[in-house]
Amino acid sequence: MKMRISLLAAASVIALGTSASADDYVVGVMSAQSGYLAPYDQPSYAGFKYCIDKINENGGLNGSIPVKTIVKDTRSDIAEGVKVVQEMIDEGAQFIVASADADPTIAAAQITAADGIPTMTFAGTAPVLTQVGEHVFGSYPADNQQAAVLADYAYGEGLRKVYLVKSPDAAYTLGGPEYFGEAFTALGGEVVGESLYSLNQPDFSAIVTTIKASDPQPDVIVTWAWEPDFPAFIKALRGAGVQTPVMGGDVLDTPTVRGLGEAVDGVIHTSGGYPNEGSKYATFMEEFEAATGTTPDNNYYVNGCDIAHMIEQAVDAAGSTDPAAVSAALAEIEDGEGIMSNFTFKGTDRMPLREVVIAKINADGSKEFIKRELADLDTLPKP
Amino acid sequence: MELILQQAINAISLGGVYAMLALGLAIVFSIVRLINFAHGEIMTFGGYGIFLSLLFGMPPAAALLIGVGAAVVMALAMERLAFRAMRGADVVSLLITSFAVSEILKVLFQNGISARPVPISLPASWSGTYQIGGATIGVLPTVSIIVALVALLGLTLFLKRTEIGIAMRAAAEDLEMLLLLGVRANRVVAVAFAISGLLAGIAAVIWTAQRGSVDPMMGFFPVLKAFIATVLGGLGSLGGAVLGGFAIGILEVLAQAFLPEAFAPYRDAIVLATVIAALLVRPDGLLPAANADRS
Repeated sequence: MKMRISLLAAASVIALGTSASADDYVVGVMSAQSGYLAPYDQPSYAGFKYCIDKINENGGLNGSIPVKTIVKDTRSDIAEGVKVVQEMIDEGAQFIVASADADPTIAAAQITAADGIPTMTFAGTAPVLTQVGEHVFGSYPADNQQAAVLADYAYGEGLRKVYLVKSPDAAYTLGGPEYFGEAFTALGGEVVGESLYSLNQPDFSAIVTTIKASDPQPDVIVTWAWEPDFPAFIKALRGAGVQTPVMGGDVLDTPTVRGLGEAVDGVIHTSGGYPNEGSKYATFMEEFEAATGTTPDNNYYVNGCDIAHMIEQAVDAAGSTDPAAVSAALAEIEDGEGIMSNFTFKGTDRMPLREVVIAKINADGSKEFIKRELADLDTLPKP
Repeated sequence: MELILQQAINAISLGGVYAMLALGLAIVFSIVRLINFAHGEIMTFGGYGIFLSLLFGMPPAAALLIGVGAAVVMALAMERLAFRAMRGADVVSLLITSFAVSEILKVLFQNGISARPVPISLPASWSGTYQIGGATIGVLPTVSIIVALVALLGLTLFLKRTEIGIAMRAAAEDLEMLLLLGVRANRVVAVAFAISGLLAGIAAVIWTAQRGSVDPMMGFFPVLKAFIATVLGGLGSLGGAVLGGFAIGILEVLAQAFLPEAFAPYRDAIVLATVIAALLVRPDGLLPAANADRS
C-alpha cells in the first residue's frame, strides 16, 4: 500500500512537472524523427527549439509569456501526423507547427480548422497549402516566388528556351517547374519540352536521351527534383555529355548536392537565405554552432528559428493568445524582422513574401552568392 | 536509329542491375524459402561502405571493392544473426523476420549515419562518353552492362563447375536429400547468402556510381522491382530471375522513353499490368523452377 501511494505521488509529480501553467503559450510541434521528412523536420526543429529556449530565457514571448512546447514524432506518416495533432490540441496547444511539407501540413490544418488554431508549416513551400483556411501559414519563400525570381534571372542571362523536368508525385516537384514555365513565358521565353519522372525513379537515362534528341535544343534545363533524384538526374545528364545549364529549386541547397563534384559545376539554384559576412544569419550560425556543437549547414535551422520570431511578433501584435486573434495578427504582419530574411504576410495569401537568393554551385563544393531579390506580388504565378 | 541504340543501352544497363538483385533474392529463396526483403539494406550498406571509404581518403577503385566487401559481410551477418535461428520456419515467419531486419537497419542508417542522402563523388573521367556510328554512349552504362554480364557468367560457372556450386543447386532442388548425403547445410546456406551479398554489392557499386548518392532508403525500390522480377521469372528459378530482371528493366525504360506524355503517370501501372498479363499466361513464371511455387 505504501509502495502504491509513493508511486501515485511520484506519478502526480511527473504529471505536474509536464503540464502547462495557465500563463504558458502552448505550441504543438509535429517533427518527423524518421522517414522522408526527417532530413527537413530535424534541422527545422533544432533551430526552432534553440530560439524558443532563448526566448524563454528572457522571460518568454515579448518577455512575459513563457512558451511550452509539446513535440511529437510523426515518423513521416500522414495518418500518424493527424493523430498527434489531435493529441496536442487535447493537451492544450494554441499554435501548431506542422511538418516540413505541404501534404502533412494540409492534413494537420484540417484538424486545427475546427478551433481555428493557427497552423504553420516548418518549411512546406507549395503555395496551395494555405488554401485550406485562414488559419494556415507558410514560413519559407513559396515555390512560385522562387520560380519567378529564378525565371527573371535566367531571362536576364539571355536564356530563352527551357526544358522542364517535373514529377507529378509531389506538389513541390510539379509546381516549381510549372511556375517557372509560366513566369518565363510571360517574360518572353519559351518552353521547348517537358519530361515527367516518378519520385525515386531508378534511372534517368531515358529522360536524358529524350532531352538530347529534343529539337530545338534548350538553353537551360529546370527541375525541382530533390535527393536522391537530382543527383541521379545530373549524373546521367552530364554522363551522357549534355552540358546545357541546369537550374533548380531551394532543395538543391544541400551539402549532398554540392558534394557531387564536376557533375554539379555551375548548377544554379534558389534558396531561402545566404549567410553573407556580417549578416544576422552569419551571427546566428556562429552562435548556434557554439551552443549546440552542430553546424547549421542548411536553411531549415534558421527558418525554424524565424518561426519562433513569427509567433512572438504575432502574439505581440494580437495583444492576446486567442487563436483567432493570433491568426488575424499574423496575417497582417508587414516587414516582420527575421534572421534568414524579413517576412511580410500582409497582402499575400499567407505564404510570406520573403527574399529569394540565387546561388551557384562550384565544382569544388563551394556555393557562390549571386543575388537576392523579392518576387513581384503583381506578376507572381497563381497557385 | 541513334535514339533506339541509346535507349537499348539504357534498358540493358538497368535490366542488368535488376537481374543481379533478382538473382541474389532467388539464390537465397531457392535454398531456404526466404524472400529476403532486407536484401535492399545489404545493397544500401554496400553504398555506405563506398561512402565511408571515400571519406577516409581511399582511392576510388579501392572504395568500390570495400563497398562490395561490406555488402558480403552484411549478408553473412544477417544470415548468422537473424535468419539461422529461423531456419525451417514457415514462409510467413521468415518474411516478417526479413521485414524486421530491414526496418532495424534503415533506422540504424538514419540515426547512425544520416537521414539525408550522402554524396558519392567518383572521378569525372569515369562518367565520360564515346561515339558509335554517330550515337553518343555513356561509359558508365556500358561498364555496368559488362560488369553485370561478367558477374552473371561467373556465377553460372561457379554453380556448374565447383563442388559447393553443385551442392547449392542440389540444395535448391531438395535440401533434406542433400543433408542426408552429408553435406553441411550451414556452409551451403552461408555461401548462398555470401553470393547474394556479392551481387547486391556489385549492384550497389553500379547504382551509386550512376546516381551519385546513398540514402537509408536507397535499396528499397530496386529490390521491390527485383522481387517482381523473380516472380515474373518464376519464384526460385535462377535463370528466371535473370530473365525477369532484364524484362522489367527493359519494360521500364521503354515505357519512359516511348509512352506519350499523357500516359506518364500510369507508367508503373502499365509495367505491372504487363507483368500480370505475363503471369496469367504463364502462372509459374517465364522460366519456372523444377519444384515451382506458384506465384
